[in-house]
Amino acid sequence: MKLLNADLLRMELRRDFKGLLTWTLALALSMYVVILIYPMVIDMYAAIPPEFYPMMEAFGGIPDTVVEYYATEGGMMLQLFGAIFAALAGFGAINRDERERTAESLYVLPIRRTAFFVTKITRVSLEVLFFILVNAVASYLGFLSVAETIDYRSFLLFTGLNGVVLLMFAWLCFAMACLMKPNAKQMSAIAIPFVLYVISVISLLTSDDGILGYLKYTTPFTFSDPVEILKADFRFEWISFTVYMSLTVIATIAAWRAFQKREFAF
Amino acid sequence: MNVISIQNVKKYYGKNRGLEDATLEVREGEIYGFVGPNGSGKTTLIRILTGLIQATSGSAEVFGLTPGIDSARINKDVGYMPGESFFYGELKVREVLAFFAKEYGVANTRENELAEILDLDLEKRISALSFGNRKKVGIAAAMLHRPKLLILDEPTTGLDPLVQRTFLDLLRAEKAAGTTIFLSSHNLAEVQKVCDRVAFVKEGNIILVTSMDDLIKQKVKKVVITPATDITLDGLVKTGATETEANYDFRGRPADLLARLASLDLADVVIRDATLEELFIGHYEKEEEA
Repeated sequence: MKLLNADLLRMELRRDFKGLLTWTLALALSMYVVILIYPMVIDMYAAIPPEFYPMMEAFGGIPDTVVEYYATEGGMMLQLFGAIFAALAGFGAINRDERERTAESLYVLPIRRTAFFVTKITRVSLEVLFFILVNAVASYLGFLSVAETIDYRSFLLFTGLNGVVLLMFAWLCFAMACLMKPNAKQMSAIAIPFVLYVISVISLLTSDDGILGYLKYTTPFTFSDPVEILKADFRFEWISFTVYMSLTVIATIAAWRAFQKREFAF
Repeated sequence: MNVISIQNVKKYYGKNRGLEDATLEVREGEIYGFVGPNGSGKTTLIRILTGLIQATSGSAEVFGLTPGIDSARINKDVGYMPGESFFYGELKVREVLAFFAKEYGVANTRENELAEILDLDLEKRISALSFGNRKKVGIAAAMLHRPKLLILDEPTTGLDPLVQRTFLDLLRAEKAAGTTIFLSSHNLAEVQKVCDRVAFVKEGNIILVTSMDDLIKQKVKKVVITPATDITLDGLVKTGATETEANYDFRGRPADLLARLASLDLADVVIRDATLEELFIGHYEKEEEA
């Protein structure tokens, strides 16, 4: 039994190409520019009054190097917008066929539902990997442009872990589309990364050892936090990673089961 | 041998009725019309047959297999054209057809032939096509692999009259080549032209299954006389009248009707066969009365 339909995969990639390119290049350009203006913002950081330091600390503190600056500005931006992109890509893989009514031409072909499922989730994964790769290259070019030497191991670690988080969002939102009724609004997918990002910000702002302290385990942004990886002493958040990896696996299995019986009626 | 077999199929979308009770069989090599007004359940039954949705109860079989469970196997031998055809707008017609041909596992030999018959530009992007031209792509995609069974949902809606005629000729040619065709329609004229048998559906229930021959054999003649005159004759039933003319249905010997009409001083007489539409409306009205 063929699990991956290469022809369908090619067609799907072509269908999404413009959207993928727009998102990727927009973010990549932003990353490049953010790094490029680092020499100009050093003075701005120096001018910040000391009374603002505690508040700044919650968001990564005053950066001393270009990598620290990238962690507090570009990295966080890449996390949030990347997650939104991944969520939309994942949700749209199934949802778009229903919205644009191509499902009625596609799902009557002699292709097994499992092959559709695997092909579509592969397409989403490839798009996320492309997005991550191009953004990493743009950031690298930014570092080269400002002629700063950086710790590339940390940078690659952040790129890798951010890639894992974006893949999780893509797969979770793909699963969400499979589990929801046909024609669900695509914007509902954005709610997941957005809410989880807000939770991660709240968890950064609190030093509570009680319930609020556990908030960091409810969001995957914790284990790929650019400030932790690139600036502070990195300690991998296994709990957050395990929670979200398990959730992603469970949601994907549930989605696969639901997809076998999914009805395409408009 | 039955290609399609439907037994007491019911489909509800939550509380909304899709199909109440459908039982029918489509034999190998025939063109079967599934006729009813909008919202009567035609598309619902077709989507059950193609595995896009599942029946709430009852059983449906295509080639002896169950849609939904065996759809990938069934669909190899089925060509389906939905009521509205949508494809990836970014691709050219040729690319879409090549993809379909590949998935059906056939050498892409029919795309040029079908494009010529349907007057379809293969180099145009799908997003640039009108509704009618997208419909043509739908026809070509459904017929590309010479399927054993064609399932067509409102196939001529949106096609111009010339293409409609070409399409009906194409259906006859497919039938001659051994293809079984199941088509839904509310266009009774097209059903009358090509179908061997027909099922009428109303509010989710099949109210009549008959062959076109039997339907025509009912020999209902429509009689219109001017001026409006009351006539009594066995088999002659008045169906309506205006100030200038009277309408009758006649079942009986033509000689009796002609003799009776000849005895009257009439300005004009029209005698013709009842159309399928008139028979269809007659059945509907009977159902309403029941």
